[in-house]
Amino acid sequence: MTRAVRFGALALFAAATAAVAVSAAPPAGPPAGPGGVPELPPYQVRAQMPAGDRLATGRDGKAVFEHVCGYCHLAGGMASNLLTKQMMMMHRPPSDGLLSNRTDLFPAYVKAVVRNGKGAMPAQTRVDITDAELNSVAAYLAKGKK
Amino acid sequence: MKLTLPPRISPQQFDSALQSFASVVGKDWVMSSDADRDAYSDVYAPGSTDQWPAAAAVAPANVDEVRAIVRLANEHKTPLWPVARGKNLGYGAAAPRMAGSVVLDLGRMNKILELDPKLAYTVVEPGVGFFDLHDEIARQNAALWMSVPGNGWGSVLGNALEHGIGYTPYGLHARNLCGLEVVLPEGDLLRTGMGAMANNPAWHLFPMNYGPTWDLAFSQSNLGIVTKAGVWLQPAPETSLSLTWDIPNEEDIAWVIDTVAPLKIAGLIDQNVFIPSWLGKIVVLGQRKDFWDKPSAMPEWRVKELLKEHKLGYWRVEIRLYGDEAVNKAKAEVIKSAFKRHLDAAPFESWWRQGDPKPPMDLAMGTPTAVPLQMSDWVGGRGAHMGFSPVVPATSEHVMGQLKRSRKIIGDHDVDFYASFTIGGRFANNVNMLMYDRDNATQVDNIKHLFNALIDDTAKAGYGEYRTHLGWMDRVMDTFNYNDNALRRFDERIKDALDPNGIIAPGKQGVWPAAYRGQKKEGAQ
Repeated sequence: MTRAVRFGALALFAAATAAVAVSAAPPAGPPAGPGGVPELPPYQVRAQMPAGDRLATGRDGKAVFEHVCGYCHLAGGMASNLLTKQMMMMHRPPSDGLLSNRTDLFPAYVKAVVRNGKGAMPAQTRVDITDAELNSVAAYLAKGKK
Repeated sequence: MKLTLPPRISPQQFDSALQSFASVVGKDWVMSSDADRDAYSDVYAPGSTDQWPAAAAVAPANVDEVRAIVRLANEHKTPLWPVARGKNLGYGAAAPRMAGSVVLDLGRMNKILELDPKLAYTVVEPGVGFFDLHDEIARQNAALWMSVPGNGWGSVLGNALEHGIGYTPYGLHARNLCGLEVVLPEGDLLRTGMGAMANNPAWHLFPMNYGPTWDLAFSQSNLGIVTKAGVWLQPAPETSLSLTWDIPNEEDIAWVIDTVAPLKIAGLIDQNVFIPSWLGKIVVLGQRKDFWDKPSAMPEWRVKELLKEHKLGYWRVEIRLYGDEAVNKAKAEVIKSAFKRHLDAAPFESWWRQGDPKPPMDLAMGTPTAVPLQMSDWVGGRGAHMGFSPVVPATSEHVMGQLKRSRKIIGDHDVDFYASFTIGGRFANNVNMLMYDRDNATQVDNIKHLFNALIDDTAKAGYGEYRTHLGWMDRVMDTFNYNDNALRRFDERIKDALDPNGIIAPGKQGVWPAAYRGQKKEGAQ
């Protein structure tokens, strides 16, 4: 990962947020369950980490994403709340706040953000997510784009 | 981040240390690229992350690998900085106190070894996060509740060992630890409590040793590496009732403390009562610029406007009761009449009963979340926070004194005031959250000056912090100055006896081994 990638990502982010300065709506609460009490949002009921060698290629990208990134990036998570706000400021659909809904993510971009951090997100170590796991997650989020 | 070597180690010696580590854990689990060093740096560092650089990281899979690495580290004179999951955000994250230390990342050791609903405890490895334990309790449908900190991303053991605080009856997390397995600085293996006898089933149930009790000597400590521990959990209650009051004025905190603390000490209130000021409610509604568009601290009149606009009190008190319905009802009556003496408004009441889903954001019900970290977005940019957290006696006299003192110092530095008090019994823990943009050099510099002023003036008034960031570990240790800093002298004698090479976490909490005492000035703010 080069410094250039990091500054590139940051500049893009800054330009996007500076473009439209409107006050954002508060993040939507979780859906109400029986009795009007909110159910646990998806980020609090994550998938289990897939079994097997974490260094081997071909890990289940969706499951790894939900387990490792899910604390923040599933619905209701901190990152989903912040990204939803940013998307709305850019006049994009709020649903784009969920990474799994995005159609504009490329593998190299996902990897750069994960390894370098971005905004409130800290860089992830190779214990948090191995290179093999990150490849699978990047492929999952990129939906086939190279 | 470029490579910073451990003191007195050549690049060749360092290389051979890393190779020896790789022979234990495999080369993929020795991480020493520039990007790896960045990932193990302090993500919220006030200023450059280069102040506390790790040389590399190594990630063992089990206790035997930990012991092997510790022995090799002694052989190669390569100091280790153990982290559980490395999410000690605001206090240094995974970064080491001493430049050139190798982070010993225990994140791969993430097994939940026991979960016992009957005696209400679990035995976990350091890599188990709050979310992991929460998921496992749900999967097993075990009638157990956890206590969680504001950031549920971190490690159950790491947080307890760092003296983390939650908001349930089990909120003093270090107190929940019972029976530790510890790798000692020369590689020996110790089990504390009843675990000192092989196969003793009371290991994680009886909280003392035969003879001196060492469990908490391994918390905020560099005397060993905890590789597993028992953690007591709360049996899921039949019902839970929360009573919430918005408290109108800043100075009302005086009667709130004098009302809540005696009820807590008497056992009528079980939980740690968290009392945040208004900013805690506003931070999740937007960014600072949406409410106050000037760089200067938000003035009093604007605060008053906002409280009115958003129908908030200056403080919010939420008291949560746990247990049988009849007991909770009776307790609630006592608590409500105590509040009624000072405030006419009735509390907002909300019952939870077995079978109801739990509100996802209620830390007092032990559900982990990382959403409170959203506050790092408050100032915009690469937002970050540091917490100044002195402990004061839980009386109005001490609390008001500390409130006025820290408010004045924070105001003098033109920073927004965001205080909270957590009443843990006979003490109140006053956390002042200081938020800043990491890329704004003026802000960072100001925060550093502010932090020094807070530590020094608070110590002059006779109070100390319970926990602090890497850069201030020595400064805070200096404030514990009774009898020519007897505490540090004692800590360092033990350190030198157990760890002659000073291999484990040199400088942790201001305790330096003889081998590296000369490094003390580096990285200190």
